[in-house]
Amino acid sequence: MVKKVFRVSDMSCPNCAMHLEGLEDELPGVKRINASYKKLTMEVEFDEALLSVEQIIEAANAIGYHPEPDAN
Amino acid sequence: MDLIVAFVTGLTTGGLGCLAVQSGLLASTLAYQVEQDVLAHSADASRKFKPHIARPIFLFLLAKLIAYTILGFLLGAAGSVLQLTPLMSAILYLAIGIFMLGNGLRMLNVHPVFRYFVIEPPSFLTRYIRRKSKDGTSLVTPLFMGTLTIFLPCGVTQAMMAAALGTSSPVQGAALMFAFILGTSPLFFSVSYFATRLSAIVEKHFTRIVAVTMLVLALVSVDSGLNLIGSPVSFSRTFNSVVVAVSDSVNGVQSGFVINVTDDGYRPIVLHLPADTPVSIEWVTEDTQTCARSVVVPGLDYREILPPTGRVRFDIPAQEKGTVINYTCSMGMYPSQLVFDLDL
Repeated sequence: MVKKVFRVSDMSCPNCAMHLEGLEDELPGVKRINASYKKLTMEVEFDEALLSVEQIIEAANAIGYHPEPDAN
Repeated sequence: MDLIVAFVTGLTTGGLGCLAVQSGLLASTLAYQVEQDVLAHSADASRKFKPHIARPIFLFLLAKLIAYTILGFLLGAAGSVLQLTPLMSAILYLAIGIFMLGNGLRMLNVHPVFRYFVIEPPSFLTRYIRRKSKDGTSLVTPLFMGTLTIFLPCGVTQAMMAAALGTSSPVQGAALMFAFILGTSPLFFSVSYFATRLSAIVEKHFTRIVAVTMLVLALVSVDSGLNLIGSPVSFSRTFNSVVVAVSDSVNGVQSGFVINVTDDGYRPIVLHLPADTPVSIEWVTEDTQTCARSVVVPGLDYREILPPTGRVRFDIPAQEKGTVINYTCSMGMYPSQLVFDLDL
C-alpha cells in the first residue's frame, strides 16, 4: 500500500470532497481516500499492484475533477 | 427569528445551500435506490408520477424533518438551561453573522482563506453514511439516511441551529428548525425526483444567488447582534432614524409615556421623556405575537416578556438630559429609543 497526495484545485465546495471520497467505492485497490476542500487536496491510500496514479486521475476526471500529484 | 423568515430562508438559501452539502452524497445515493426501484418497476415507466421514486425521497425528507425538529427542541432546551443573557445572545448573533459572511464570501471565491469557514463532517462519518445508503433497498434506508443528515448540516443550517439555541425555548427551537427544514424540502425533493444531475446545474447557476442571499442574512444577523448590545450604530437603527426624522417633523414630539408593542415593533420608535426625574412608561400589547413581546433594554439591564394583550409598567430611574437608551426585542429586531430630552 502507498499513500499519494494530489492537489485538486477545482474543488469548489465541501460536496466535492465527498464526491472524490466516493471513488474509494469505485476503484479496485483503493483502501482509503481522504479529500479536503479546505486544503484542496486528496490523499489516496492504494495498492500499486492493482491501480496506478494515472487511473486515479482518470477516475477523478470522469466525475469532473482534475487532480495533480502533489510535488511535496 | 420569525418562523416565516426561517421557512423562506429554507426555501431559498437553505434549500440551495444544503444541496451543495447533502444532495451530492445523499440524493445521489438515494438515486441509487431510486434506480433500483425504476428497474424493478419498469412497467410503470410510462406513468407521469412515479410513486416508487417519490416514496423513498418523501420518507427521507420526513425523517430529516423529524430529526431536525428534535434537534431544534434539544438546542432550544440547551439555550434555556444556559439562560442566554442579551449580551450572550448578541455574541451568538454576531458569530452567526460572521460565519454566514465568511461562507457567502467563500462561495463568491473572494479569497481562499474563507474556505476555513466551512465545517466539514469527518470522513469516517461521510464514509459510513455513503456505504450505508447503498445497503439494500428497503424503505428503512431512506428513513435512516434522512435522520443521519443532522450530521451533515450545511452552512445555513448550522447558522439556523445557532439561532435555535438562541431562542432559549425548546418549543421555539423545534418550531424554528421545523419551519426551516420544511422550507428546504421542496427543492430537495424536486432535485432528487427529477434526477440528481440537476443538482450540479442548480449548484453551478445558483451559487452566486445563494452567496448574495447569505451575505444579506449575515448583515441581518450582525444587525440583530448590534441592536442587542444596545449599539447606537446598526443598519436598522440608521434606517429608523431616517424614518423618525420624517415622522417627527409631521407629528411633533410624543406626549404620552406609552409604547404600543405591535407585531411590527414599537410605536413610537423614538419616545421623548422628561430628563432628571424618574418616569414610568407602559408597554401596551394588543394581540401581539412577534418577538416584539420580548423586550430587552440592555442599558437598564431590563428584560421582560409581555403578555399578548395587556399593559405592563416599566419604571425608569432619573436620567441625565440628553441620555439616549436603545432597546429592541430579544431577537435584536425592531431597534427603538428612549430619549431623555424633555424639561419638566
